[in-house]
Amino acid sequence: MYLITERMDLKKRPRPFETLVRSFLFFCAAFSILITFGIIYEIGKEALLFFGNPEVNMMEFLFGTRWQPQAGDFGILPLLNATLTTTLFAMIVALPLGLGVAIYLSEYATKRTRNLLKPVLEILAGIPTVVYGFFALTFMTPLLRSIFGTDVVNIYNTASAGLVMGILILPLVASMCEDALSAVPYNLREASYGLGATKIETALKIVVPAAISGLASAVILALSRAVGETMIVAMAAGAGAKLTFNPFESAETMTGHIVRISGGDLSYDSIDYNSLFAIAITLFFLTLLLNIASQKIVKKFRQRYE
Amino acid sequence: MKKKYYRVLIALAIGMLAISACSSTATVPEVEQDIQTEVQNPEPQPEEQGLEALSGNITLAGSSTVYPLAEAMVDRFSAEGFTGEITISSVGSGAGFERFCVAGETDIANASRAIKDSEVESCQAIGRTPIEFRVGTDAIAIVVSTENTFLTDVTLEELGMIFSARTTKWSDVRAEWPNENILRFSPGTDSGTFDYFVEGVMAPLNPNAEGKDDMDAGKLDILNAENTQFSEDDNVLVLGVKGSQYAIGYFGFAYYLENKDSLKAISIDGVAPTAETAEDSSYALARPLFIYSDAGILKEKPQVAAFVDFFLTYVNDEIETVGYFPASDEALNAARQAFSDAVK
Repeated sequence: MYLITERMDLKKRPRPFETLVRSFLFFCAAFSILITFGIIYEIGKEALLFFGNPEVNMMEFLFGTRWQPQAGDFGILPLLNATLTTTLFAMIVALPLGLGVAIYLSEYATKRTRNLLKPVLEILAGIPTVVYGFFALTFMTPLLRSIFGTDVVNIYNTASAGLVMGILILPLVASMCEDALSAVPYNLREASYGLGATKIETALKIVVPAAISGLASAVILALSRAVGETMIVAMAAGAGAKLTFNPFESAETMTGHIVRISGGDLSYDSIDYNSLFAIAITLFFLTLLLNIASQKIVKKFRQRYE
Repeated sequence: MKKKYYRVLIALAIGMLAISACSSTATVPEVEQDIQTEVQNPEPQPEEQGLEALSGNITLAGSSTVYPLAEAMVDRFSAEGFTGEITISSVGSGAGFERFCVAGETDIANASRAIKDSEVESCQAIGRTPIEFRVGTDAIAIVVSTENTFLTDVTLEELGMIFSARTTKWSDVRAEWPNENILRFSPGTDSGTFDYFVEGVMAPLNPNAEGKDDMDAGKLDILNAENTQFSEDDNVLVLGVKGSQYAIGYFGFAYYLENKDSLKAISIDGVAPTAETAEDSSYALARPLFIYSDAGILKEKPQVAAFVDFFLTYVNDEIETVGYFPASDEALNAARQAFSDAVK
């Protein structure tokens, strides 16, 4: 009989290197959270100065239709409307095309085609946004003007900026949708083929609904990207805040306005200066809302496979 | 196995330290919507008197109107032997004074209007006394597209009405003009051109209770006008005006000359902008162009003093090519005298 006379020491052997790496990685994660809170704090502090000013009231800010800080008008609707218009046009371009590319890549493409197409899409994503802005100004706007006439389309307009923004976002949508579609287990497709469905029927009726949560999160991410896009709209959408539903007219977006004004000589703590932070915090809340919506949708539609 | 990980970690740590040490000496680029020009001299001319001996950098910022003139002088200065780095930013006279008098970042401020008292006070608060050098004359060109067939001449009052919040369509100003929206393009509130336009055109249209021109009311009048786009970058305005026959804009004469094939300058009260009418002030919107510096900077940085001296000496050679008009001889001589007094 072999008797165990000593209790085995079950405590973990201390590994200092492991602890070091773990604390370093934890620090990285904590750092990114701290930075986020730091940014919110800084913007919020200045925005609070804006809302604390007696000249400004929240109702006028949220529902006013004129934005002209030098004249005391602080209604954000013109800027918000322009942002939403450009985002809408970007989605019109990016969503169908992106989803189409994703379905093609995941269902139909041969390995060779996929290896060629994916890097090319990445290149599209890598083009600097200022180049896209220039492209909007020198190609997209003249194109729109030749189709619809120079009297209808202004030389600065939100439609052209929105369409080019769609091209910018297309790789993002395509790659995220493709990841979502590829994550659907192959046996679902096999079952569908086994029952006699064609490829397109399988793709549209089985795979896409199965991947809907991933697709929804791709859409929301693309929306957030479009809302925050600055350079393209600063160059091509116009330089004056205007509340208009005509996409062929020039209108300044929230981001474009911040860029234009912050390049100038506003004195610190003037109401103009603080109004920029108010716009920034509105942008932040818009993106935050989109993120929360995305999480809710993903949770609701997620399908778990065994 | 563990030793290998240690080595990798140490190598990574050393690498990161090295990178952070290197990047702390690199300059951080400014992300701004201004035009920056960096001019470096390729090869020095042997016959220039000692410009190669100067080194260091010169920073200018300010008026978009003065920008082409400053750029021409910088090009010539570098071609004649200066080897340092010269940066010019086109951000508007107001922003230029902000950088000169509040931030203290620049050596020379370009301006298309005279410095304000509040700006002089800000300068004095940081220990600078701005010295004014008149370098040229500009005539603000009121431009429309060459496709515009109905506009050739306006009165000063009509010009004010065209940019005023009281009108929206061309036919609101003169009944025979088309019933279309006026697409207005104006320099922004940082621009000296804007200030000058408000003072000369909008304020007389908005007299206050005592019947005198009201600057603030005039400013509000143009700011509240419909379909107006503001930009300190005159190239944005040029593009905008070119784009439609119902567009109108105003900026420095040089920008009009550069785009003469697609833009048309309007005459005011029958007077067209030319060298003569700008010189004798018969054109209503003729105005002075300035550069400002400080005696302390001129003494501390000999390259800045050399540049200002060069500017004042050769400005009349370059100004007509750029598209502006020479300042009167007495104004230039006064500037040269102010310079000699400053560097004494």
